[in-house]
Amino acid sequence: MRVPCLSVLLLAVAAFSFSTALEPRFQEWEGDRHVSDNILQAALGDGRKLFAKHFYTKADVYFHNGYYPTIYDANEDFKQGCVAGGAHHAEQEEMEDFLGPAKDWIDAFSRHFFPAHHTHLGETTGYGPEHDGDPDPDGDHDHHHGEGKASEHATGPGAAEILPWLRLSAELDPQRVETYVVASYWLRSKLGKVDEAEQFLREGLQANPGDYEILFELGRIYYENREDVAHARNIWELALRRWQEREGGKSDPPLFVYGSILNSLAMLEREQNNYPRAIKYYTALKEISPNPANIQLWIDYLKTNGPPIKVGLSAPAPR
Amino acid sequence: MNSPSPLPVALPDLVPAAPGVSSRPCAWTNIRAVASVTVKELYRRKDFYVLFVLTALLTLVMGSVSIFNQDNIVRYLKEICLFLIWGASLVIAITATARQIPAERESRTLFPLLAKPVTRAQVLLGKFLGCWSASGLCLVVFYLFFGMVAAAKEHEWPVLHYFQALTLHWFMLAVVCALTLLGSLVFAAPSSNNTITLVVTVGILLVGRHLKKVALKLSEPGQTLLTGLYYVLPHLELFDVRLLIVHKWGLIDWWIWLAALAYAAIYAALFLTLACWLFRRKAIN
Repeated sequence: MRVPCLSVLLLAVAAFSFSTALEPRFQEWEGDRHVSDNILQAALGDGRKLFAKHFYTKADVYFHNGYYPTIYDANEDFKQGCVAGGAHHAEQEEMEDFLGPAKDWIDAFSRHFFPAHHTHLGETTGYGPEHDGDPDPDGDHDHHHGEGKASEHATGPGAAEILPWLRLSAELDPQRVETYVVASYWLRSKLGKVDEAEQFLREGLQANPGDYEILFELGRIYYENREDVAHARNIWELALRRWQEREGGKSDPPLFVYGSILNSLAMLEREQNNYPRAIKYYTALKEISPNPANIQLWIDYLKTNGPPIKVGLSAPAPR
Repeated sequence: MNSPSPLPVALPDLVPAAPGVSSRPCAWTNIRAVASVTVKELYRRKDFYVLFVLTALLTLVMGSVSIFNQDNIVRYLKEICLFLIWGASLVIAITATARQIPAERESRTLFPLLAKPVTRAQVLLGKFLGCWSASGLCLVVFYLFFGMVAAAKEHEWPVLHYFQALTLHWFMLAVVCALTLLGSLVFAAPSSNNTITLVVTVGILLVGRHLKKVALKLSEPGQTLLTGLYYVLPHLELFDVRLLIVHKWGLIDWWIWLAALAYAAIYAALFLTLACWLFRRKAIN
């Protein structure tokens, strides 16, 4: 009995010794097909991107308190992802009423058993006292589910409900930049978690080095939340360079983020009384803006070296 | 889960009708007796305990995750827990019901059972009542767990909302149990009955509400067939009120809730009537 036991022990020690000797070499081996330490990414492969999109949509579903079109309901407005949009206006909300009138008695009856009215996180859903965000100002607790009091944005801790799905979506598809930007927006503006927002954006930058959308959002953290103008300027200028490197040569480049970066830089320089630089950015913005006349007003105003302008004032009327 | 159940320790004490006395109390007593044996058999099996532990484990693991250092996030946890509860309850109800008659036949306890003063219909109704009651007991445990987990995070206990959700869920399982019992008389093996009933149930839950929308996009005769199916099928998705619970919508109107329960009762009765009729005509051997 001793010989078999000792043989097994010898083999185990030999295996352990080999593994400790070979593991460092394997890590440096060029033929290593190891791509990711993330078990989800390894297990799901490219299919994880489908799941990532699904979970991103799930965040939008949560934003709407479960009221969301299925694949059988055609509504393009929802496909834009309201969780990324922010403010909703009355006309837009009417367009998003994808259910329409009941088609038959079963349809009418079934609408009592699922969310059938358009609300957002933070609005009353007939659940007694408001729990998700700001309290109902009128104290009117509507017990018919779905008749929410309008508020334009999800507020308070209720906005946190979308975060798990955004987190999961980012885990599954780190190259999906929108997830980082949207999560950061909700973290810093609705929940006051600026550090977490910055940390999440930096994770996004690690997965997407030099991405201009993430850089722009990071700059907004430094400008709006930390009030670190110098840092914000550097990051926005980097974002601008990255956009020009990646999108500048294309025939139909995405202009929305480019315009946002230019506008933010122009506003920053204007606040810091760097009028020449502000004029430079406004000039670039004027070329792509749908409202160049207004931009020109700002340029003209700054060229006259007017008094320092506080952010928030509207452009001066033409003389 | 598909293995035939062992011989019951004792056949139910079935009461024959005394001469000149109405047989209705005896029928109910017989049904109750068969049901009680069925319930005991079900809670002696491992199915429920395994699924409950799995549900609890997954829920607690998901609940322990910290997301952006935010402690009060609860909806995702409720959704995951309810999803697991629905999956587990469907599996328990369908597998438990599907093996009732075949197991009795294979273990040859059906003959001595029917030799007692009990009709085939009473046996069938007793099996249904037992499976449905057992499903209800499982649901109570599941929803209690769900309520505790939700209360731990959001510090409130909307009892009436959970009560509505539980009763609607339970009555949905009544339709499923009745359908499965009917299937056990139609299909050859419990495995095929399990699969087909599960597929049909999940299919109805997923697309039942949208059948008419799909039908409108088809050409004839598909449109008419699908529309007919839409009106004939039991709309089990009516009883799925998870979104209302997760997203904290208000209570369902009590008359609407009652109407839904009546809707389920009608379909369950229909399937049971069909099953009784089939069972009466079926050769046991």
